[in-house]
Amino acid sequence: MKKNIIFYLTSIALVFSFSSCEKKIDEAFANPNASVRVPVETLLPGIIGNFVGSSAAAGSAYGLANDGLYIGRYVQYFATNSSGNQYDQMGGATGASDVLGSVWAMHYFGMGENLNKMVKWGMEEKKWDYVGVGYAIRAFSWLSLTNMYGEVIMREAFRPEQLVFNYDNQKDVYDTVRAISRLALEYLNKTGDNASQANLAKGDAYFYNGDVNKWKKFVYTVMARSFNHLSNKAEYKPDSVIKYALLGINTNDDNATCKFANTGITGTSNYYGPLRGNVGALRQTEYIANLMNGLNSRFAGVTDPRAFYMLRENTNGTIRGIKPNKGAGALVTADQPQSFWGQAFSSSAAPVSDATCRYIFKNGSPFPIITASENKFMLAEAYLRKGDAASARTAYADGISLNIDHLNTDYSASVPAPRLMTPAIKSAFLANPAVVPPAASLSLSHIMLQKYIALYGFGMMETWVDMRRFHYTDIDLSSGAQVYADLVMPTGIDLFINNSGKYTYRARPRYNSEYLYNIAELTRIGAIALDYNTKEQWFSQK
Amino acid sequence: MRQIKKITWLIMLPMLLHTMVMAQTSIKGKVTGANNQPVSNATVAIKGKAKASQTDAKGEFAIMVSKGETLVFSSVGFVSKEIKVAEQTIINVKLTQDEGLLEGVVVTAMDIKKNPRELGYSVQKVDGDDIQETQRENFVNSLQGRVAGLTINPTSGAAGASSSIVLRGFNSLSMSNQPLFVVDGIVVDNQSVDETSDGGRGIGLASDRPNRNSDYQNRIADINPSDIENVTVLKGPEATALYGSQASSGAILITTKRAKTSKLQLQYDNSFRVSELTRFPETFDKYSNGTNGVAASSFRYFGPAYGDTTILFDNVKLFFRPGISQTHNLGMDFGIKNSFFRLSGSIFDQQGVVPNNDFKRYNLRLSNTTKIGKYIELMPSVSLIRTDNNKVLRSAGGYMLSLMIWPNKNNILNYEDPVTGDKLPLFSSNPNSDYDNPFFNVYNNVAKDVTMRATTSLGININPTSWLSVQGRFGYDTYSIDGYMRYHPKSYYLSAAVQGTLDNYWRKYAGYNHTITATAKKKVGDFSFRGMVGTMWQDYQTKMYAITGNTLSTTESFDSSVTAPNTRVRLLRNYFGEYNRQILRQFAYFGEAAVSYKNMLFLNYTHRFESASTLPVKNRNYNYPGGSLSIIASDLIKPLKNSDVISYWKIRTSLAGTARLNTPYSTQSVFVNNFASGGGFSYGFTNANPELAPERQSTYELGTEFRLFRNKLNLEATYYNTLNKGQIIENFRLSYGTGFVLNTQNAASTRNQGVEITLGSNVINKAKFGWNFQMNFNKMWNKVIDMPKNVAEYYIADTWLYGNARGGLVFGGPTTSITGFGYERNLNGDVLINPANGLPVVEQLFKIRGDRNPDFTLGINNSFRLNRFRLNFLWDIKVGGDIFNGTHRFLTGAGKSPLTADRYTPRVVKGVLKDGKENTNPTPNSIVIIPALNDAYYTNMPEEDFIEKNVNWLRLRDLTFAYAFPKKPFIDLPGIKTLEVFLTVNDLVLITNYTGADPAVNGNTAGSRGVGGFGFDYGTMPAPISFNFGLKTSF
Repeated sequence: MKKNIIFYLTSIALVFSFSSCEKKIDEAFANPNASVRVPVETLLPGIIGNFVGSSAAAGSAYGLANDGLYIGRYVQYFATNSSGNQYDQMGGATGASDVLGSVWAMHYFGMGENLNKMVKWGMEEKKWDYVGVGYAIRAFSWLSLTNMYGEVIMREAFRPEQLVFNYDNQKDVYDTVRAISRLALEYLNKTGDNASQANLAKGDAYFYNGDVNKWKKFVYTVMARSFNHLSNKAEYKPDSVIKYALLGINTNDDNATCKFANTGITGTSNYYGPLRGNVGALRQTEYIANLMNGLNSRFAGVTDPRAFYMLRENTNGTIRGIKPNKGAGALVTADQPQSFWGQAFSSSAAPVSDATCRYIFKNGSPFPIITASENKFMLAEAYLRKGDAASARTAYADGISLNIDHLNTDYSASVPAPRLMTPAIKSAFLANPAVVPPAASLSLSHIMLQKYIALYGFGMMETWVDMRRFHYTDIDLSSGAQVYADLVMPTGIDLFINNSGKYTYRARPRYNSEYLYNIAELTRIGAIALDYNTKEQWFSQK
Repeated sequence: MRQIKKITWLIMLPMLLHTMVMAQTSIKGKVTGANNQPVSNATVAIKGKAKASQTDAKGEFAIMVSKGETLVFSSVGFVSKEIKVAEQTIINVKLTQDEGLLEGVVVTAMDIKKNPRELGYSVQKVDGDDIQETQRENFVNSLQGRVAGLTINPTSGAAGASSSIVLRGFNSLSMSNQPLFVVDGIVVDNQSVDETSDGGRGIGLASDRPNRNSDYQNRIADINPSDIENVTVLKGPEATALYGSQASSGAILITTKRAKTSKLQLQYDNSFRVSELTRFPETFDKYSNGTNGVAASSFRYFGPAYGDTTILFDNVKLFFRPGISQTHNLGMDFGIKNSFFRLSGSIFDQQGVVPNNDFKRYNLRLSNTTKIGKYIELMPSVSLIRTDNNKVLRSAGGYMLSLMIWPNKNNILNYEDPVTGDKLPLFSSNPNSDYDNPFFNVYNNVAKDVTMRATTSLGININPTSWLSVQGRFGYDTYSIDGYMRYHPKSYYLSAAVQGTLDNYWRKYAGYNHTITATAKKKVGDFSFRGMVGTMWQDYQTKMYAITGNTLSTTESFDSSVTAPNTRVRLLRNYFGEYNRQILRQFAYFGEAAVSYKNMLFLNYTHRFESASTLPVKNRNYNYPGGSLSIIASDLIKPLKNSDVISYWKIRTSLAGTARLNTPYSTQSVFVNNFASGGGFSYGFTNANPELAPERQSTYELGTEFRLFRNKLNLEATYYNTLNKGQIIENFRLSYGTGFVLNTQNAASTRNQGVEITLGSNVINKAKFGWNFQMNFNKMWNKVIDMPKNVAEYYIADTWLYGNARGGLVFGGPTTSITGFGYERNLNGDVLINPANGLPVVEQLFKIRGDRNPDFTLGINNSFRLNRFRLNFLWDIKVGGDIFNGTHRFLTGAGKSPLTADRYTPRVVKGVLKDGKENTNPTPNSIVIIPALNDAYYTNMPEEDFIEKNVNWLRLRDLTFAYAFPKKPFIDLPGIKTLEVFLTVNDLVLITNYTGADPAVNGNTAGSRGVGGFGFDYGTMPAPISFNFGLKTSF
């Protein structure tokens, strides 16, 4: 009897202690330091930060700006102030390098699951605007990704348990961009429930500040881009471009622009500003300089008033640029352009203050992602291809005008006072027939070159798409001259050895993601070849 | 609260079950062993009955028996004796030591003492006196060479350096391979700070660093070596199966000294040490600063040769100082009746050989053994420890590399402006562009840790009957570390704009664990049975508050307030004023069933059930078995009995499984801070795995033990084979298509095998002269037998500390491989040469270029005794194993290595041109190079060239010479019982084919996981030679 009581009591005590142990063990399971779920409002700033150059405790510099440092050389926006740089030579990334892999990282990791979760939890919480914005950014991201890399992981993307991944064709990615764009519009159109301007602004304060209408225009312009890129394809329809461009970003107020809090730490400042210190060795090229100083045959004798906003003068006070892979080349010291931070040609150092920096090269300068000006040039190209030269001319002139206004509004800081563009200067420029010719004389070359200027410094990704569509040196049928007039492509020792004499058409996927862990698929698509970067992409092929 | 309830129950249970028996005649007596020493805790049982008594501390017992019954006297380590009760009322018994038992009793898992005879696995014991005699303040360093299968990898020779310990090689690829430390049955923490904080979600530094530039003591080194009675190393699987997943890499059991009588006894010893650094990487100093033969202001030495009149300073000599340390140990035993106390204290004060590198440790410990009544013994203890460590930076960023390439034209002592105290410029007007003068470095890039620790434990033994014993071990271990690490604003390792960085951290650890076991024994005829059940609860919590910032307002203070507020980064919870935490809780119950036949056949089975907080609910409860068989063949095989050749022969085998846990929270993908405009959160790098299951480790072991020639020679050999399946691989890379950069999976498998042989001999044992000899041989080999097919290489990021070489693991390769860049070759194996410049083409792929695993290691210990002199010395031999000599690569690129001495000799690199025909019609290279004028010849050399193959060493680790004074006429002071003086020399002799300073290198600290950074040399400071002298006395 006594034994039984002891047995029962002991058993009860044991069961009691086991269950309490289980509870204590369960309490220690969850991570007390970090969350597995955060409010969707706190995910969006980081996703937006990835447009340009991310900065998080888990990695930085994912985005367009870091890869833009190299793409900008391919399109001859800038070149290194010394010779022998493989990217000035249009080389692709080589060896164990992650160069040109920032957009890959942006898409799959930087935005990656953060964006997926924002959409998923946004749905759960009926925050339709966050869902719409998520899809909008994803559509943009797919398009940027494929334009850069061609075939990419799409159907199998974001499968955390998978070891290897198949690549999809670019055509399918383009179709997906449109499908996701439509989804984005569907949710951006959905009001009520927990969607509100005030709440969306918590997440996109440094982008559209909660304005879903602007996000819709962003989506329409992404769609316009996706149709515009196919100008060489049989399925190209200028009306599709026109339709979506008209619905898209048409005023500078609607410009898709990343803004910066500029609090003195790298994360909140512009990737090209002196604090982040990324463009110290880069100098404007002869090509952009000549387009704006009147030396280019297309705009011969025209001094572009935007030059002192976008470019740097030299000690002579003139605008000159360098040839890729030649360093200072034949330029005498007084003709050598300052760095984008206003330092001497040979100095790669970042100034402590950005007081003398201009344009997108200041710590706090907004960084455009898509501008109304670009949208107008897409319209102009589509109208011209359609045969509507008059509408093309209007759109073309609007593109230049919007670009001048944009510069005046956002980028007049540190521009020498005599060089500031007054309304008179602007109208004189637009009235110059060498810049805005009569409709009958308007050529694709005019449009592409003014677009090239308007996207200078930030829009190298889109400019690269354009230049590849024209295979860099295609002839404008109407004028018989090169579309990118006077563009001199690197040859001989100025063209990277691995290119085997060919120009660059794509970047290879990120090394430390694909070249170590996805070899089979890279082999299938030919990405192991040393000249993979010269393989033309589907979008630009006839 | 619940815990206490449980404990109470388990303590009370056996007492309640204890049944009363009738009394007859009372018999008293004393049980003694050799030299008439009393044998305590001996069992006095009545044959055929459950009734029994135990001897007390004086060996005395009392028991009620009936006439004609037989008393059985038994105690672990002695041969049982039976005496029939006739008319006596006093029975004094002398027990003889068990012949097959030279080491006496061993402590096994759960603090259970066993006769080594019955163990089915290998156990090795090291005596505390041997440990103490080495005078090594970090006691783990004294174990190298003394235990077969134990490898110590010290981080460096700096004061306060950490050491990592590996038993039987590396099993886990990304988890810790360090054993569990258990002191008097209590699990005691041995973490080193791991500086990685994974974007602020972990418990590393806020600056989230990769364990390369600093070092943090491995905390078990807090133990005062003088408090150690002995150390038992449990290498085998079966031994650790009961300790569970925490001991999947083995366990080291420390038994501390305890007072044995209530008599007042005092021991005092001291030691004074002088250390000197004598081994350095070889450098070569003939050419001035420059490149390609042209003078230039840089830290490269490819300029013109020095002129005859150039004065060169011996900067290396000017830099280091003699290391000086002293230690004082005091021990006091006292007691009242059945309560014995031991109080011990120790002061250790070290000035390292590197300026500004100091280490101090203070230990105080009080332990007690109290007998309550006949059945209960209580053993409480408390230890208080404080350590202060002034640290300097090591490896990349440390003083060593800049010292090696400092221009000897410049007197190293002139490093700061005598007026302003500023860093003096050397080559650049910008101080941040010049390498830090080593003195500037150690005085300005500084770090410090202060640790306060308290460890308390309580042991309870209850032996209500002869057949039942209940043990409880309860321990609470806690410490705090306050530390900082500062880079001076003018340091080379920062850009001017950063203006100095300062890391501050406050770390707190608290761990509670208990084990309660109940053991029952029963003998039936020739069979003995033993059953044990037990439970274990573990709860360990480490908390960290860490902050880093830059733009220092002053270099006078090390408080985080001197950093600019907008630059401060903290660990995630620290932003809310809370600590980041890492908590591990584990509950287990287990049992053991053992049966033996005639004390010569032993069969043992254990099973442990665990539940751990790091795993998801569905995988949280797991269990694993262990079994062993031990046969005393010398007893079993009749002709061997009483043989002159084989006095003892045992064959044993064991088989066991265990599990290894993931890092807490590796099951949850979490968000870390986003610093872009607007703030918020972004996912961390790691794709955590909510499906994670524990790693499974299964081992079998075969062994045999011989005692030959009447115990003159003993030989023990063991083979083990461990299979680790479903290894938890944390932080391995895959395609970003996963949505993440790093991944977590149960992915790989490894097999780890080895052979251990120990040979001991009591060669001569005369009254005036004795010679003892012991040898520990160890050979291990291991292989990665499974890995995801697409993962060409998995590596521990910490090990990628210089150039392109790292501790990478490749399918089919050894777990200890070095992967790195090498030469590109054609199908014929010829090196390919770039036709443009005549230099070899480097293959930029991380392939296996070396294996760090030695062919074998051998420790040989000799002890001689002549009259009152004693001489002990331990040789440590390592044969084979490769080392990446990053220091050499660094010095070669800088033109300071002897490899560059013949730089003006024109040469043609042997190989064929990479001209597209290298495989069809190779063109031999004929391009002549003069390296002095084209120093890319040296910088282009791939890491393959700097992996030194088959590095051997012969090292005289510890040598002690001691003299014990005779009682008369030297010791006539009242009270003094013994007096001994000694001289101990550490690391006196090193003979090696390694070209660097010392092949015992480690690129990372003990805080690194997986295989870690042993075999990676990059600016590692070797151990200095140390001379210790002192005296030892007892009162």
